[in-house]
Amino acid sequence: MINRLRELRTARGWSQGELAGRLGVSRQTVNAIETEKYDPSLPLAFTIAGLFTLAIEDIFRPNGSGAAPVAARPADRGFVD
Amino acid sequence: MTTCSDAYTPRDTRNMRIFNVWTIAAAAMFAGATILIGKDIIARGPLAWSLAIATLLMTLLAVRAYMVFLRAADELLRRIQLEGLALGFGAGGVFMLSYRLFERLGAPKLDSPDPFVIMAIFWALGQYIGMRRYAPGVER
Repeated sequence: MINRLRELRTARGWSQGELAGRLGVSRQTVNAIETEKYDPSLPLAFTIAGLFTLAIEDIFRPNGSGAAPVAARPADRGFVD
Repeated sequence: MTTCSDAYTPRDTRNMRIFNVWTIAAAAMFAGATILIGKDIIARGPLAWSLAIATLLMTLLAVRAYMVFLRAADELLRRIQLEGLALGFGAGGVFMLSYRLFERLGAPKLDSPDPFVIMAIFWALGQYIGMRRYAPGVER
């Protein structure tokens, strides 16, 4: 699973520990998700999406599924081909 | 290197502490009961039976504390714990089955709790491997 958790977290100026506290998980879990060593459970993915007020598919996408998460697409970042 | 504060939420720390207290209490009671009953310091009878049953109950309470810890644990910590338990159970099982063959070949006879030591060692090893795999390192 590929995700934008680090990008979303740093955009809000939160540390991993701070995000972990908001999610009720350990910093180890946040780091493992960010580094894509660990895929969160569905309830945790919903909690993450709720915290950032985004849909799950805006944050997570399966490996090799083609499209990047919505805001990670170059066009959404202001890039033009 | 993973520290406890990285891997454990405050709830996990509290539950693990409760489990540790019950485990130490159960181990102390088991050791005491083994000496008292094994060396016939207390006579075989209702008192010895009560002590043995109390030791069993204390051990069950330690197991219950671990179950509470595991059910409430952070989801990655739970995965690491389950991997540790799987390694411990597997190693203990393999040891128990295979050592019987070695006993028949002349290896020293083991007491029945001895395989538990193997299970505990491999359980700890499994947790160590899991903690290393998901070690957060320096925050970026």
